[in-house]
Amino acid sequence: MIFVAILIGCIIGAILGINAPVIPYTYSGYLAISIVAALDSVFGGITSVLNGKFDLKIFVSGFFGNAILSILLTYLGERLNVDIYLAAIVVFVGRMFTNLGIIRRYYIDKWTDKLKEKSMNKEETKKE
Amino acid sequence: MRKKKVAITLGIMCLILTFGIMIQLNTTNKADQTAARNIRENGLRDEVLKWKEKYDIAYEKLEQAQTTLEEERKKSVSKDADSVQKQEELKQINTALGLNDVTGRGIIITIKDNNSGKLGDRNDIIHDSDLKNIINELKNSGAQAISINDQRIVPSTAITCVGSVIQVNNEKVGSPFIIKAIGNQDLLWNVKRPGGFLEILEYTYGIPNETKKVNNVSIPKYSGVLTDKYLESIK
Repeated sequence: MIFVAILIGCIIGAILGINAPVIPYTYSGYLAISIVAALDSVFGGITSVLNGKFDLKIFVSGFFGNAILSILLTYLGERLNVDIYLAAIVVFVGRMFTNLGIIRRYYIDKWTDKLKEKSMNKEETKKE
Repeated sequence: MRKKKVAITLGIMCLILTFGIMIQLNTTNKADQTAARNIRENGLRDEVLKWKEKYDIAYEKLEQAQTTLEEERKKSVSKDADSVQKQEELKQINTALGLNDVTGRGIIITIKDNNSGKLGDRNDIIHDSDLKNIINELKNSGAQAISINDQRIVPSTAITCVGSVIQVNNEKVGSPFIIKAIGNQDLLWNVKRPGGFLEILEYTYGIPNETKKVNNVSIPKYSGVLTDKYLESIK
């Protein structure tokens, strides 16, 4: 159910995005940073699902809040002539890698458990 | 029920995310050329500003060095009458060459591009040849110092057309052109004579001029360097 909804959302979003008008290049930097922020929230969400601590409210607020905050910070940086967006990218991408690491470890653990179970089952059948 | 809500929210968020990503991809694809150009322009602008700063600093240093040189010279020759005379001569020669700021009686001619609207019309804008003609007439009238937009005319001055701008002493000058000349005012006033170049400019090409006699025209010195690298004096 959830995966179907995600898939449908992605497909509709892609179709809409392809047909959407191009935004001015000046603002594409802001859009890019908000995309990175949103992706970070998505990976964070997946991690929390795996840990069993998923909370929809936190997830949604993080998704939009981070995106908007990163845009504001980038704008502020542009005003002050400091590349604040670099710091935002470092933080977001760093967190993305951490979360990806957690996700990877979780699935690898699951996989090795399964393999162990299988081998144990085989041994049991042999003994019988 | 709760699961349904979660699924819908996640679906909407994925929709927004992919929507944003696709727009960004489209934008970067389309803006690739303009973006590259913008980056280059920004880089060039930075470069120009940096060089301008360096130039200004170097020019300031040069000025300081020249004043100290002058002082040293004065000190060293102050006790010798012959040297004082030589020093005086040197000063006169420098003034004649255009290496000193000068002031005196003269005229100021102001000419502007005729903004009649048609851009690119040969007759409406001022060309390097027009400036050359005016300078030539002023020299013929015995002008002792001439400048165009504060660029001193010296023996090595070239007035050239570089695309859409005019360069004097390799420095860009643009309309309005303020041509200052120091000399005998009545003789200099001959540039306004009937049949003179300013009149041709006004009545044939439609470029009016504003010419006036001024009693304290000040003309800055030449900011470049006069070299004699290939010259050998014959004794």
